[in-house]
Amino acid sequence: MNWTKFALTAALLLPVVGIAAPNADAILAASDAIRNPGRSFSVTVTLTDFQKGRQVEASTLQSYSRLQAGGQYSSLVRFVLPARDAGKLMLKNGNDMWFYDPTNKASVRLSPQQRLLGQASNGDVATVNLGKDYSPTLAGEEEVQNGERQMRKAYKLAMTAVSPDVTYASIEMWVDIENNRPIKARFFAESSRLLKTVYYRKFQPQLGADRPTESVIIDGLDPQSVTLMRFSDYAARNIPETWMQRDYLPRFQPD
Amino acid sequence: MEKIRERILPVIQATVTALLTVSASHAHGQTDALSLESAPVEKIQDVEPSTNLKVFVEGSVGNATQRYGLPRIDLQRASLDLAYSGQLAPGIRLVLSNRVDVAHPKVFRSGHVVNSLREAYLSWQPSGSATVLDFGRINLRNGPSYGYNPTDFFRDGSLRIVTSADPFALRQNRIGSVMIRGQQIWDGGSLSLIYSPKLASRPALDGWSLDLGSTNNRDRGLVGLGTRFSQNFNTQVFLYKEEGLSPTVGANFTALLSDAATAHAELTYGREPDLLSQAIAMVPRNEVTRSRFSGGVTYTTLGKTSITAEYQYNGFGLRKAGWDALALVPGGQVQYLQEALRLQELAPRQAILLYITQRDLWLKDLDLTAYVRVNLGDKSKLAWFELRHHWPNFDLSFQLQQNIGRANSEFGVLADRRLIQVLGTYYF
Repeated sequence: MNWTKFALTAALLLPVVGIAAPNADAILAASDAIRNPGRSFSVTVTLTDFQKGRQVEASTLQSYSRLQAGGQYSSLVRFVLPARDAGKLMLKNGNDMWFYDPTNKASVRLSPQQRLLGQASNGDVATVNLGKDYSPTLAGEEEVQNGERQMRKAYKLAMTAVSPDVTYASIEMWVDIENNRPIKARFFAESSRLLKTVYYRKFQPQLGADRPTESVIIDGLDPQSVTLMRFSDYAARNIPETWMQRDYLPRFQPD
Repeated sequence: MEKIRERILPVIQATVTALLTVSASHAHGQTDALSLESAPVEKIQDVEPSTNLKVFVEGSVGNATQRYGLPRIDLQRASLDLAYSGQLAPGIRLVLSNRVDVAHPKVFRSGHVVNSLREAYLSWQPSGSATVLDFGRINLRNGPSYGYNPTDFFRDGSLRIVTSADPFALRQNRIGSVMIRGQQIWDGGSLSLIYSPKLASRPALDGWSLDLGSTNNRDRGLVGLGTRFSQNFNTQVFLYKEEGLSPTVGANFTALLSDAATAHAELTYGREPDLLSQAIAMVPRNEVTRSRFSGGVTYTTLGKTSITAEYQYNGFGLRKAGWDALALVPGGQVQYLQEALRLQELAPRQAILLYITQRDLWLKDLDLTAYVRVNLGDKSKLAWFELRHHWPNFDLSFQLQQNIGRANSEFGVLADRRLIQVLGTYYF
């Protein structure tokens, strides 16, 4: 009797499961889990700036990301190269954002828009749990070119900020249907102005999963301005909460 | 109808062609971006020494146009700047920071060569502890304001040489005070206790001197409590005491107002001699209880422009009537301004500052910084601007400073009318 009930229930449910519409929250969560290691970590970031296809600048940062209790990351970015900027720090703990210059001991509070002026803000497009700050809806399925120039079938997610505290008011993201890898995203200001287009590419095993180790960031205001971000030397590490505040910045010392 | 169609059709065709071309070129621009290759990835451990030791050399040439029939003065300077921070043993860190300037004409009282030992201290933090102890010459700086920092209690006497009118550069080049400092840090705040002893009585004239008489000419103590009330609001409160004076209380805060705007403010309240009696020897010491204040707002546009407007108030400074009366004392106004500069004080009672930065002005890596400070008493102005271009290891900048005001005003009484200089900075 029980077997009969089970078989009947299974027979009724199977078609529903088979044709259920993909869930936008689940797609975004799966994509976030690929971009972010799900734990506190450090990573070396190499940024290469191009203007009209010509390299104009290269810099190296070390980023320390702490997974906070709510599931979002706070980050402390240390500038390593060029020599002019070595030792400068950029802190982002939600909306508590600071720039610290050890040469003049100045800790300057930054607004989200002010932080966009610096290279560290590009880290946001790579290390942020979008599912915590944005509400996604499935806008369709599209064939798009990925960062390796291959055509991939993708879910298109339209995301709007659920909190006024985020850097970007809305985001469009394309996620690979086959494996939930992020392919491409477009980041918009509150005025609907396109701020950045980002391609995620060069997926490699890092901290337990295949993760994008390079982002191609195209400036929305000046598409001839392109930044390549390479992520290397991922390392899981314990990062104390005390690091993520203004008063700790003058004390911070790299390992 | 046929004629209309003949006229309109080519227009539509041309429009469609143009749109397709724009669309294709935009798509092509993105495709090009995907063909770019990253610069070689640097291993942190390979470049780490450069962050422990920062060295740069700087050279400048320029001239000062003067008032009152005085001749134009040529200006030259060469500087060597070193900063080191390294671990000596587990939990023990050494911080050294020094600068040598060779200047022409010679620096007031010190000569052509001025050495500034900015910092030299040991820091001890036991492993896993949130307590830190520091001892030595420390450049302690507090206060979020841009142009005037009342809660920066250790600012007086800290400048051996003024190389630029940029307030951020002034903070970079100053010497610290010898002190012992203990700090406890916890999630969302910290408590600092500082004692800075008297080690000498008066500033040194020798350019190579440690100049303890400028920074440690009286016993001083400071207690500071920093608190993060929320992501949008931070404060610091202080209790400051120096030999022979009653305690001064102070507070500052920063706040996030919107996606593009932040606010800051600083306030102190205490009893001390007014600036006039500190500056002019013949004026009897006049202790008064007053406040100092500085507060402003910074707004940043998507076009990479940041604008800061700041109001500054010094209850110990001269009002316009007092300033005008000081003109009757020969050289009195200039002496007053020199003492205000030495103390890093606001000379008038009230002033406003407008500070603007523009990143990537016409070219990438070409930055503009400019400010104007207005004395609200006599309406005289100091205008300063800098164009700076960055290369990987080299900066080239052009600076212009203009002092604007009538003869007896704050910025009109000084001999210098305009300073122009070109600076080259090489980072190793």
